[in-house]
Amino acid sequence: MENFEPVIVAFCCHYCAYTAADMAGSQRLTYPANVKIIRVPCSGKVDALHIVKAFEKGADGVYVAGCLEGDCHFKNGNVRAARRVESVRKYLEEIGLEGERLEMVTMSAGMGYRFAQVATEMTEKIRKMGPSPIHLALAGGASEARKAANI
Amino acid sequence: MQKQQQVSDKVLVIGGGMGGIRAALDLAEAEKKVILVDRDYTIGGLMTQLDRTFPTNNCDLCTLSPNLSEGSRQEYIELLTMTTVKGVKGGKGNFTVSMETAPRYINLDKCTACGECHKKFPQCVRFTPGLDHRAPTCMRYPQATPQAFSIDLAKCDDVEGLMKSCPAGAINPDDMGRKFEVTCGSIVLSPGGSLFDPSHLDYLGYGQQPDVVTSLQYERILSASGPTMGQLVRPSNGQQPKKVAWIQCIGSRGLQKGAGAYCSSACCMFALKEAIVTKERFHDDIETTIFYMDMRTMGKDYERYFLRAKNEFGVRFVRSRPHSIVREGGAENLSITYSCDDKSANITEEFDMVVLSTGFRISDEVRVLAGKLGIDLNSSSFPVTDPFNPVATSVPGIYVAGVAQAPKDIPETMVQASAAACMAAGDVAVPVKAEEDREPPPPEFATVGEEARVGVFICDCGENIGGVVDAGALAEFASQLPQVVVSELKGHGCSRQSMREIQESIRDNKLNRVVIGGCSPRTHETKFQETVRAAGLNKYLVEIANIRDQATWVHSNSPQDATAKAKDLIRMAVGSVIRSQPLVDQSLPINKDILVVGGGVAGMNAALQLADQGHKVYLAEKTDKLGGLAARIHSTIEKGDVQTYVKDLIARTEAHENIQIITRALIVDHSGMPGLFKTGMQTGKQMFYRQIEHGVTVIATGAKPNRPPQYLLGENAAVSTQLDLQALLAEKPETAKAWDNVVMIQCVGSRDDENPNCSRICCQSAIKNALRILALNPEARIFVLYRDMRTFGFHEEYYQKARELGVIFVRYSREQPPRVQAGDGGIEVSFTDPVLGRELTVAADHLCLSTGMVADEDGNSELAMLFKLPRTADGYFLEDHVKLRPIDLPVPGFFVAGTAHSPKLINESVAQALAVAARARTMLARDTINLGARSAKVDKNICAACLICVRSCPFSIPFINAEGYSEIDPAKCHGCGVCVSACPAKAIQLMQFEDDRILAKLEELFERTNA
Repeated sequence: MENFEPVIVAFCCHYCAYTAADMAGSQRLTYPANVKIIRVPCSGKVDALHIVKAFEKGADGVYVAGCLEGDCHFKNGNVRAARRVESVRKYLEEIGLEGERLEMVTMSAGMGYRFAQVATEMTEKIRKMGPSPIHLALAGGASEARKAANI
Repeated sequence: MQKQQQVSDKVLVIGGGMGGIRAALDLAEAEKKVILVDRDYTIGGLMTQLDRTFPTNNCDLCTLSPNLSEGSRQEYIELLTMTTVKGVKGGKGNFTVSMETAPRYINLDKCTACGECHKKFPQCVRFTPGLDHRAPTCMRYPQATPQAFSIDLAKCDDVEGLMKSCPAGAINPDDMGRKFEVTCGSIVLSPGGSLFDPSHLDYLGYGQQPDVVTSLQYERILSASGPTMGQLVRPSNGQQPKKVAWIQCIGSRGLQKGAGAYCSSACCMFALKEAIVTKERFHDDIETTIFYMDMRTMGKDYERYFLRAKNEFGVRFVRSRPHSIVREGGAENLSITYSCDDKSANITEEFDMVVLSTGFRISDEVRVLAGKLGIDLNSSSFPVTDPFNPVATSVPGIYVAGVAQAPKDIPETMVQASAAACMAAGDVAVPVKAEEDREPPPPEFATVGEEARVGVFICDCGENIGGVVDAGALAEFASQLPQVVVSELKGHGCSRQSMREIQESIRDNKLNRVVIGGCSPRTHETKFQETVRAAGLNKYLVEIANIRDQATWVHSNSPQDATAKAKDLIRMAVGSVIRSQPLVDQSLPINKDILVVGGGVAGMNAALQLADQGHKVYLAEKTDKLGGLAARIHSTIEKGDVQTYVKDLIARTEAHENIQIITRALIVDHSGMPGLFKTGMQTGKQMFYRQIEHGVTVIATGAKPNRPPQYLLGENAAVSTQLDLQALLAEKPETAKAWDNVVMIQCVGSRDDENPNCSRICCQSAIKNALRILALNPEARIFVLYRDMRTFGFHEEYYQKARELGVIFVRYSREQPPRVQAGDGGIEVSFTDPVLGRELTVAADHLCLSTGMVADEDGNSELAMLFKLPRTADGYFLEDHVKLRPIDLPVPGFFVAGTAHSPKLINESVAQALAVAARARTMLARDTINLGARSAKVDKNICAACLICVRSCPFSIPFINAEGYSEIDPAKCHGCGVCVSACPAKAIQLMQFEDDRILAKLEELFERTNA
């Protein structure tokens, strides 16, 4: 895949990560357009179902972005989100997806530069990893996908 | 009606910093009219320049900006920026104030803050004190209020080009400013302080050495929105420093030429914060050292912060006043020369950067303003205030809050601002509600069951969107999406004109869903919700695709990518809005009665203020009489007569027709929700049960005097606490005449393992009692054994006076505490003098222990359990936000005042009590309470009562009801959605963020990719 452009979904909490993304905007920082943001009130709202659906639909990478530890507007939603991401990662591995395609990150609302940095790093990482096996399956049939995932 | 007796219905708030904003918001929310003036072009004051604030180390912008935009939205607030007060006539109830507004050269109604003018004329930015360049157009920080730029016309050489650069045509070079008069019933003065300028002190090197900066400049260097974009670099060479030193008390405690005689109170904490943030970011790469005289961390939980700096982050502390900061010829680094107690020779040490912790002072401008207002000032140019009401100035109807009252930190400023709002509200008439202005919106038309008819409106936002992508093509694209009936290009969707057009389109095309392709929902959702609601559409049927902040602004380097992404975002928003459902904001009628728990100074003050406003107040006191701890105190350090004050307060409370006092009250149960509480208590000698219904609860239960069994306290009659001593000096003053030697030991039962925090009040108690003893017996020798003297603010001047009068202050360390034994001639106190390096023993006639206060553990733990209120580790009630909401408790409808919050002085308790009244009124002004619509809703047919939601909710709201399924009270739900994502049966949905809407977004996003 020469010109592989991954699609990455970023679930961003309203209070910190989403605000940081706005901040990146108002500071005119640039980051790859591969990252698409879905706003949630709290990173703890992000369901395992949402993450898995994103992959099923064809996301090459997903990350959940919440507040810095101790800054969650709902006490500990970000900590719960981190735990959930950890468990979904294991599940992804079980079904033949690399766990590294899913990440939990934290940032404060003022960290526009961090938002841009995370988006860039994530995109670079996924670009190196190549398309998600599911994506391949959707594009070219199940057998190739199995081959790609080594199962 | 006679004109001279007419009372104005407006309050003038001077100063748009945090204090002014808080006061204005409290007044506006209590439905009082406010004029908020600031000489600056945007409100926010000093706090907007800070990187992070102690003790949470949160960033400020995110906590401050909601307050600011709240400020801009309030219909009761008239905001006048770039405006100064020229003169004041009249008095309480009817002031006439003349003002002058400087030209902004920008029409605020037209400016959309797009930034085009700034981009085309980027000579520079007017932003930071000392560290930036200036621009002809400028906006101070990204979330500024008003959301508009300002032009410095003198710096602009191409006025026409500048005018043309504005797509909204908002630039008006002919702006003349204006002069005008307003009338108001009372004035809140909150202009803030300015910072000491150390330029004239050549031994500090400031102004000559670029690597010597003030703490505010260091803050700007650390700040993400600062001149270095948050990169910590040395101004001299752009390299990251390896060794940074802070020097305390610059411009405070009378140390330098031109310094205030007072302590600036906040500098120790901000130096700690800057050192911790530096350490957090660079760990061992940067060494941090603080040179200090006394660490004054006397605020709530501040001592723990100090300990963390020392133990966790490895900040180094040197107790010394450096002699000089120089850079030797040719050297790269700065040399600090200082001396320490334990070494006789001077030490010279090299640092890369030196931060001067500059203190607060009153600016000349504020002094002139005070003159115009006619208020009396003290010797340091701060307003003279009532000893028992720190916000009341010498002129009735004029109140002062924040640093302009005395040096202080943000939480105390917030308390005073609310207190000033409370007092100011009492002096103005109730505004007549202009019915015609508040025309009710048309009834909502039905949408349930109807086919979705979506209208898409794309903003070009000037060049912001239109300059990168073809906005017209985006509108064309959107018109092809399923169920989209109309798709139009709107220049600036947020302009009044566009909003009207959108409303017309909703009506004409029978739209029942709206998507705005524009900027951030964070800033504009409310605006567009109001727009669609005014057209008869439920306000939750609109969604914003953030194609500016998330596409054109960040992918301007690739218009192709930006276009593709904008399309994705619009399609996702359309997919989601189709599945949106009309929601109703939760609202409940409010019971306007109040329960005040605790009948001390704080409780009585809060009760009186609220009762004066016509509320029925139940004042529940645990003991059989009112007065609390203050009833045992005779005088404040400023010689305020506490006994008379408390007696008068009790008499007024008992006589008030709206106050019902319940003594011997033991609270036993509590239920309900904000605005509709029920609290049960057993009262009187017979412990009869009674239940009170109330809308607001005030916690004013106080603290207890500490009496730790140390240093023979309770065993020897010659050993007492400061509280006992002040009573003895007032009741039997002749006793002190027989004393030759008196020893006081500070920090007894405070700042130790058991009680790590500082009790705040004891240093000034010791000084107060020492001065009293000397007044009675000038021959007495008084030794004060201390760890850090924490005579913050104006108390510093009493400390200096005590030293001048010969009180001997000897420092001891925690590791080497004084030793005490009963001897023949009295109490023998042995201690090591660090200056002499020798052990001394004094035979004291009286030993006085500064034991401070402790939280009432038993009482507080019971109440905390009943009311579900959190507490600090040392048992005080924990406020909702330690910085910005120090009066509100985390449970809505609960407020805290006095020492139940943390140890404090009487006037501080009074201020917090007044503040509680102001905060409570913001709730009680309305007949109902709006709780929004974002709450979790359980489908009882799916719920298996597995208890996972009950366990996962951060606020313990869900419970399994009598019918056997989980019930979530929408009035209590905070709307985070944690239970929704945890529910294994998917029986819970979060309104506004329903799963099908999130999945629809994913669906739409990948449609293109997979097509």
